[in-house]
Amino acid sequence: MNTEIRSLQLLDDDLQAVAARERDRLASIDRALDAGSGGPRRLPRRGRGGGNRNWGGMAAALVVVLVLAGGIGVLSQGGGDDSADSGGQFREVADAVSGGGGSQAELPAPTAAPPPATDRDRAAFEANTSEEAALGAQYSVGDQAGTAGGSSGRTSQGIGAVPADQGDLTKIIRDGRIGIVIADGSFSKGVAGVTQIARRNGGFVLESSSRDERSGALTLRIPAKRFDDTMLALRALSGQLEGEVEFQDITGQDVTAEFIDLGARLDILQDRRELLRDIQAEATSSSEILRLAALIDDVTLQIENIQGRLNFLKDQVAEATIKVEVRERDVQREDPGPDTENPSIADSFELAVQGFLRIVGAIVIGLGYLIPLGVIALLVWGVLTLVRRRDRGAN
Amino acid sequence: VPEERTDTQLLIASRTEPEAFTELYRRHAEDLLRYFARRTLDPETAAELTAETFAEAFASRATYRDQGVNGVAWLYGIARHRLGRFFRSGRVDAAARRKLGMPERDLPSEDYERIEDLIDFTPIREALAEALETLSPDQREAMRLRVIDGLGYAEVAERLECTEQNARQRVSRGLKKLALLLQERGMQLTTEVEA
Repeated sequence: MNTEIRSLQLLDDDLQAVAARERDRLASIDRALDAGSGGPRRLPRRGRGGGNRNWGGMAAALVVVLVLAGGIGVLSQGGGDDSADSGGQFREVADAVSGGGGSQAELPAPTAAPPPATDRDRAAFEANTSEEAALGAQYSVGDQAGTAGGSSGRTSQGIGAVPADQGDLTKIIRDGRIGIVIADGSFSKGVAGVTQIARRNGGFVLESSSRDERSGALTLRIPAKRFDDTMLALRALSGQLEGEVEFQDITGQDVTAEFIDLGARLDILQDRRELLRDIQAEATSSSEILRLAALIDDVTLQIENIQGRLNFLKDQVAEATIKVEVRERDVQREDPGPDTENPSIADSFELAVQGFLRIVGAIVIGLGYLIPLGVIALLVWGVLTLVRRRDRGAN
Repeated sequence: VPEERTDTQLLIASRTEPEAFTELYRRHAEDLLRYFARRTLDPETAAELTAETFAEAFASRATYRDQGVNGVAWLYGIARHRLGRFFRSGRVDAAARRKLGMPERDLPSEDYERIEDLIDFTPIREALAEALETLSPDQREAMRLRVIDGLGYAEVAERLECTEQNARQRVSRGLKKLALLLQERGMQLTTEVEA
C-alpha cells in the first residue's frame, strides 16, 4: 500500500485477511451448491456451525417463552392476587355520601353532632372494656380472636384502656378492627353511615371494597384523639341498622422508646455535622476538604433517614387506622382461606394447588399477549425473506 | 491494459470477490483518515474510526445498491454516521471489527506526527487557544507547545520532563477533549468540503 502511515498498512493487512476468509467461505458455498446431490444442502454459515436440530436449545427456548409469558401474565394482573373487587360501585356509594348527594337523606341520624351511642351499645362496650382490663389481654368481641399481643412494644387494649390525653411523651400507634352485621337490604346505608362517621370525626375513607353490594370492607384514617369516639359511633351504627357488632379488635403499638431513641440520635448527628462543618471551614488542603465533605454527606444521609422515620411515626401516631367490615345478616362471612403462616397438610396441598393454578393462569394470559406478537413477527420475517430471495434472484 | 474499475464497480464486485474491497480501501484509506483527523483532531481516534468504518463497510457491502451514487459516497455515509456516534458518546466502539475477527491495534508511535500532518490546524488555531483553558494543566501545556508553538514531540517531552510517548498521549487526549468541546459549541473544525 502506498502510504507512510503504518496503521493504514496494518489495516490493509487485516482487511486482506478478512477478505481471504470471506473468499474461502464463498467458495465453500459454491462447492456445496455445485455438489448438487439429492440430500438437503447445508450451506456453511459464518460463526456457529449449525444443522442438526438442537433439541436442548428448543427446550430452553420453550422454557424461556413460558417464563416470559408467566411474567407478562403476572404483570398484567397487577402483581396482586386480590379477589374480584367491586369497589368501584362501593366507592360510588361512599362518594355519594361524602359529596353530599341525595343519598344523604337515607343516612341514619345524619346530624351535625356525633351520634350518641345507644345506651345498650355503650354498656356493652364498657362491659367489654372492663373485662379486658381485668384480663390484661386483648379486647375481643364475638368470634374473632385478637391478632396482637406478645411482641415487644405492641399491646392490645380495650378502647377505654388508652387515655384520651396521652401526654407529650407517649407515642402510641392505634389500630382498630370492627365487624358489623346489619339488617338485610341496608348495606348501602351501612356504608354511607361509616363514611359519615369518618367525616364527622375529621377522618376519611382510605380504601374500600364490596361484594355484590351486600358486604364489604372499609379502611378509615381517623385523628388519634377521635379514635374512641369513632369506635363508639361505629358500634352505635350497627344498632341503628338493626344489627350487632360481630367482632372488634383494638391494638396499640407503643413507639415512645423508638421515638426518644431516634430523637437522641438525631441530636447527636446534627451536632456531629456542625462540628465537621467547623473543621472543614478551617481545613487547609483540598484533600482534607474533600474527605470532610464525604463525612458530612454521610452524616447528612443518616440525619435524613432518621427524620424520615420520625415523620412516618408521627404520621402513624397522629392518625389511627380502623378497618370496618360490614355485611348483611344473611351473607356468610368470607372464608379467610388456609393459614399461610402455619399451614396444615391439607392447607399446604390447597395452597400448592392454588399456586399451580395461578402460574398456569398467568402463563395463559401471557401467551395471549405473546401469540399475536409472534404472528406479526412471523409475517414480517416471511416478507423480508421473500424480498431477499427476489433480490438474490435479480443479482 | 484492463480499464480501472470505478468505486461503485469495486463495491458491487466485492460481494462475490472480497479482494475487490481491499482495492477500494487502498484508494480511499488516507482520505478517510484525513477526514476523521480533521474533525476529531486526535490521531488515535481518527485511526480507530477509519478502521471501524472500513470494517463496517465490508460487513455490510451486500446492502449497497447502485442507484447512481458513487460508491465512495456510500462509504462516507458510514463515516459520517460513525463520527456522529463518536461525538455523542465520546468513544469509538469496535463492534464491526469484532464481528469480522479483526484485531484492535494501538496506534504506532511514529503515526502520531504523520496523522497530525494531515490536520491543518491553521483555521482552528484561534478557537483552540480559547478552548485550551478547559483542559487540565498537563494537557494544556503539552497542547500549547505542540499545537500553538508547533514544537516536535521530542522538544515537548524535554520541556515537560516526560517521555515522548507520554507527551504524545497528553496531546492526543487533549485534542480529543477539545474536538468534543468544539463540536458541542457547534464550531466548524475544518473548511474541507465533505465528500
